[in-house]
Amino acid sequence: MNAISRIATGVARGLLLERQAEFWLGQVAPTRSLAQLRARVEEVVDETADVKTFRLRPNGRWSGHQAGQFTTVELEIDGVRTRRCYSISSAPGRLPAITVKRKPGGVVSGWMHAHLRRGDVIGLGLAAGDFVLPAVLPQKLLFLTGGSGITPAMSMLLDLGRRAPAADIVLVHHARSADDVIFRGALAALAARAGGPRVVLCSDDGSSGLGPFDEARLALLVPDFARRESWVCGPPGLMERVQSMWEAAGIAGSLRQERFTLAPPRAVTGGKTTRIRLAHAGRSFVAGPGTLLEQLEQAGAKPVSGCRMGICRTCKVRKVSGAVEDLRTGAVSGAADEDVQPCISVARSDLELSL
Amino acid sequence: MKKTTKEKGMIEESRKLSPAEEDAFGKELDVLRDEAFGSLGQADVDHIRGVVRLARRAEAGGRALLHLGLDPVTFLAGAGALGVSKILENMEIGHNVIHGQYDWTKDPALEGAGYEWDIVCPAEGWRRSHNFEHHTFTNILGKDRDVGYLVLRVSADQPWHPAYLLQPVSAVLLALMFEWGLGLHDMRFDDLFRARSLGEAREALKGLVERGRPFLSKAARLCAKDYLLFPALALANAPRVLAGNVLANVIRNVWGFSVIFCGHFPAGVRVYAEEACEGESRGAWYARQLNGSANIEGGKLLHLMTGHLSHQIEHHLFPDLPAARYPGLAPKVRAICERYGQRYSTGSMPRQLASVARQILRNAFPGGGKPIRDIAAENPPLGRMSAAAA
Repeated sequence: MNAISRIATGVARGLLLERQAEFWLGQVAPTRSLAQLRARVEEVVDETADVKTFRLRPNGRWSGHQAGQFTTVELEIDGVRTRRCYSISSAPGRLPAITVKRKPGGVVSGWMHAHLRRGDVIGLGLAAGDFVLPAVLPQKLLFLTGGSGITPAMSMLLDLGRRAPAADIVLVHHARSADDVIFRGALAALAARAGGPRVVLCSDDGSSGLGPFDEARLALLVPDFARRESWVCGPPGLMERVQSMWEAAGIAGSLRQERFTLAPPRAVTGGKTTRIRLAHAGRSFVAGPGTLLEQLEQAGAKPVSGCRMGICRTCKVRKVSGAVEDLRTGAVSGAADEDVQPCISVARSDLELSL
Repeated sequence: MKKTTKEKGMIEESRKLSPAEEDAFGKELDVLRDEAFGSLGQADVDHIRGVVRLARRAEAGGRALLHLGLDPVTFLAGAGALGVSKILENMEIGHNVIHGQYDWTKDPALEGAGYEWDIVCPAEGWRRSHNFEHHTFTNILGKDRDVGYLVLRVSADQPWHPAYLLQPVSAVLLALMFEWGLGLHDMRFDDLFRARSLGEAREALKGLVERGRPFLSKAARLCAKDYLLFPALALANAPRVLAGNVLANVIRNVWGFSVIFCGHFPAGVRVYAEEACEGESRGAWYARQLNGSANIEGGKLLHLMTGHLSHQIEHHLFPDLPAARYPGLAPKVRAICERYGQRYSTGSMPRQLASVARQILRNAFPGGGKPIRDIAAENPPLGRMSAAAA
């Protein structure tokens, strides 16, 4: 069967019948495709007031995921294909699920909450990312999460429940309030199992018992934190404080991080205006605040983008000249003819881009 | 190029615009352009996907009728449906997608750079000869190789040659085999004839081989599809399917030829001298596009079947705007043209075709009108920025 379909595909390609084949496959079943990874929305679950989980059934091109990895979803919003990366919250071996928080003013998350329904078909990317569990599992693990940063940790906790039932696991999760805790029921069920993880919930308003993140309290709650392999995922403030705490303890090597959102770019010092020139379009504009990607979008250059946090490299463009700062590292690069990722770059001089 | 049919309120000759007027004219068109681009959305994508669906279904239906039927009625209906699907695929889908009109959707299926169409002329060469050369140097003699496709004398401004005596016949042949004409045209055999030294000839020959390979490969694949694979699949019905596929391709060829010739070669459309367009402003470029193009009047079905090249003027002003937007823009473009005293050439398809036929017949013989420089003296073509100084 496989050989027949391979031969048929080869003939279709050779005789320029590929588009017809793709069209009729899509008519048979909307997720069928010769080349594209697509998924049908199987189920939409309301997790909290502003968080939904979308359980997806991908076509045969999906190759599974490891706990903690992300996938790229491609949605058509007012005619334009738009991509975003989301951590997979389901266990490996199960249907991939993404858990999406509706961001205020978020075009994509807002659209998904308002329009994406069971039965809809979306584009999908293969699972990727190295925020995962090691092949040889440690005996003592600590997960520090904030907000929707729980999503990759949830996948890992589910995976650990099957692969390492005897492991000593602590999850310290931070939310705005008790009502904003994503997967509250599932976490309680995991914690209630014999040998399940210890789940500690903290919230900004104290409604879940404990207040917002605090280094001293964390050290009291998890006194052996320095002897644990740790994973942190959450808002930039939490990530920075945890990183500093781990560095101060001299154990930065045991901390794995997954960034969901970038810290906002620092203002250019000196207030000098920078101009961005688009070589192919033959026009230029003055750069305002924000990332290079945001600048290009505001200028109507319609760049392709994906994760918007420097992971997927979808937005990569060739910089002909000028200097950009990498927002993740603060490194400034002025090399000519190099590829840069606009989503995590800000202009630090006049730029010329191959766009 | 003096024959124009009187129509109430129609400007017969565009007047010369001052540089300031040209700029204002260009700005008004830029505003239209920005408005249209700013309002692109789901409806535009739904439209083109609807046309893709229609073309695919017409193709499947046409092939089914050809393969399964035995009588002449299903033969004609089948070849007709297949021809219609090829017309839709080439014109509303292929031509427009290859222009990059749907690149903003970021849908790989609608990406101009990757699209290969169902016509023997490869898309790669077309992107250069059509999107760049023809749309940039529209109707400039010596630069726009699409003026008469180098084999027909469609304007008195092209120098006459005895070979043009045969053009009433060659025009019919070109219409029947239009896809091959386009493919051979993009091969640029003329480079070889223009070579003035052995080195140049060698260079030209090298280019010919470079372009020849993809052309022959694509032509072979398409011929294998329409003239081998599908007839073979029809078993005993193979001759009927083969004949039907030939007929479908001819239907598409004649239609494509007619639409394209109506777009640039009816009487009253201008051609330009090379030096007239050096250093032209954006407004002057717009004016040249307008004065070098002609529209075909008709209903929605005609617009769709021409890939909206019935709005050739709007297409030449905004070549990368989704073509289905042209009918909506046309009244506004026309109003702007009227205010600036610019001719907006338009007419029914029979009228435009008759005009093209007259041009082809008349220009087969020497003379035929005032040469371009004389026209320039009494009514200078727009954008003659540097020619005035020369």
